[in-house]
Amino acid sequence: MESKGEYLSRREPAQEQTAPARREMIRTENLVKVFPGGNRAVDGLTFSVYEGEIFGFLGPNGAGKSTTIMILTTLLAATEGRAFVSGYNVSRDREQVRLHLGYVSQVLAVDDALSGEENLWLQAGFYNLSRQERKKRVDEVLELVGLQQRRKDLVETYSGGMRKRLDIAAGLIHRPRVLFLDEPTLGLDIQTRREIWSYIRRLREEAGMTILLTTHYMEEADQICERIGIIDHGRLMVVDTPANLKKSLGGDLIFFDFAAATGEEQRERALQRLREQPFIQKISPRGSEAHGFVAVTADGEADLPRFFAALAEINVKVSRVTLKVPSLDDVFLAFTGSELREEHGDKEKHMQERFTMRRLRT
Amino acid sequence: MKATGIPLLRGAYYVFWREMKRLFRQRTRIFMAVFQPVIWLVLMGNMMAGLTDNPYAAQMLGVDNYLIFMTPGVMAMSSLFGGVFSGISIIWDRRLGFLQKMLTAPIPRFSIPLGKIWAIMLQIFLQMLIIMAIAYLLGVRFATGLGGVIAMLLYSGLLGSAMGGISLAVATVIKTPETLFAVVNFLTMPLIFSSNAMFPLAAMPLWLQLIARYNPVSYAVLPMRSLAAVGWIWPDLLTGFFMLLLLNIVILLVAYRRFERGLVL
Ligand SMILES: Nc1ncnc2c1ncn2[C@@H]1O[C@H](COP(=O)(O)OP(=O)(O)O)[C@@H](O)[C@H]1O
Ligand SMILES: [Mg+2]
Repeated sequence: MESKGEYLSRREPAQEQTAPARREMIRTENLVKVFPGGNRAVDGLTFSVYEGEIFGFLGPNGAGKSTTIMILTTLLAATEGRAFVSGYNVSRDREQVRLHLGYVSQVLAVDDALSGEENLWLQAGFYNLSRQERKKRVDEVLELVGLQQRRKDLVETYSGGMRKRLDIAAGLIHRPRVLFLDEPTLGLDIQTRREIWSYIRRLREEAGMTILLTTHYMEEADQICERIGIIDHGRLMVVDTPANLKKSLGGDLIFFDFAAATGEEQRERALQRLREQPFIQKISPRGSEAHGFVAVTADGEADLPRFFAALAEINVKVSRVTLKVPSLDDVFLAFTGSELREEHGDKEKHMQERFTMRRLRT
Repeated sequence: MKATGIPLLRGAYYVFWREMKRLFRQRTRIFMAVFQPVIWLVLMGNMMAGLTDNPYAAQMLGVDNYLIFMTPGVMAMSSLFGGVFSGISIIWDRRLGFLQKMLTAPIPRFSIPLGKIWAIMLQIFLQMLIIMAIAYLLGVRFATGLGGVIAMLLYSGLLGSAMGGISLAVATVIKTPETLFAVVNFLTMPLIFSSNAMFPLAAMPLWLQLIARYNPVSYAVLPMRSLAAVGWIWPDLLTGFFMLLLLNIVILLVAYRRFERGLVL
């Protein structure tokens, strides 16, 4: 698949690759968006996304993720603060910003009355490319998202997942340096979601594209993002790698029960012994069960054998053990204190969402 | 070297290209565009045919065949309707997210309404040719021949483009088709009934005549009616042309401002 390789290899000037510091491809400074009516959808966001990174915005509905993306893609003007994409100011150098970004919105922005090929041809037409170049790129992105076979069919005959893939392909046609994916897998079944994840990973690995995506699926953020910003009420609660975020909750949890035959004295001795171990941060009883305890350790998988070794030395047996790695769900709940929230406000927005869902389900 | 975005006309061309693809795939739209004026022409023509038997009425109409009076009127109405609903496409594009997608591309924003207006004009040209062909089959013979046909296309196009521009500009701030329909109806009905499209000025009360004289629809109808029934009446033709041109310029400027600065998402 030569065309694919060609598409994915970027021709960057050499000095950019050897530059020691990673380039900031997205940067915001104290960004604020107040909608008419006083809704502060974005409330003082400051963050950076570096070249070649997949950065995820994770937050409940109405957190301000889409609004932030719309400011970065020049669709909305910020009320306060500044933002840069690929080094260009989004409110002053709009044309340069637009040339460098790809935007795949959370609704399915493909024209059902055109064929897949025509959608891409149209999109390519919006960029200053020669006819030949446009032809080549349409082929490349169709290949990339696996729609070559159906290119001539009208989009109204596509499934939801195919439409989404076409939408993503359209966002790639001009080889943007920065790609914005707003809820790229919203409403798709799990299999299609995984497919989309693998396309996204490939874009980064093979094309070195910088990607900012938003999601409210934890699994998605965990699987494909290098760094995650948890956003709620228009504010960034925390930014870190998924692994660090999970660690920040205090390490992994070892749930264990002593064997039924273990006497009280023996149990106390064992607990004492475990508390002395440097890798164990904390041990506490598990509610009502007399034999059940939970130990907190920094790295559960490495510490579990040591945990058993410590008990074996004093000949105490456990009847069952469960290792639990804190999920991003736990982190999310800790930072936002909420799960999915009902959204208020714009009626037209709900309309648009329902409309998107309907088209995804076909 | 800095890459640059694409020029206005090229952007508009791609918007136009999309509209054409859509138009020719929507059979019902084509069907409606053809048959609505036909129905008007045939029904109105027959209904009003009796009028010309009355010598007093015939004198007011200025013609002895109501159909030749009516054809330019139907053409103007069809152009008006052809243009005035074009804002709907902005509303649908906004809902589909397609508008947002076009706005993040490096095309001048004004190329969106411009491309859509071109599409409307082309659609109107085709529709007018069909209306004129049907009128011909019904026995209407235009006084100015082929030159007149081309001139009538021009007037229809200018009227349709002005109406399209208004509708597109209004759609920058309106988010639902229902609201746009309401605005459009509020606008079109008075425009038609206070024009000379269906009745001759001479048959109107004085106050209505005054309104009708400055109604943009009349500026299209009057020259077309001269072309159809009388001949090359240059004062009518030029006044109509320049007034419609002026109207177009003003409306396009408004649309330009709305799309560059005031487009609501
Ligand atoms: N055009 C608008 N007018 C008024 N309020 C809006 C508009 N768009 C979004 N909002 C509000 O701004 C907040 C953030 O919305 P959004 O950025 O879409 O959230 P998310 O993408 O994280 O779900 C919500 O409360 C939403 O109702
Ligand atoms: Mg959103």
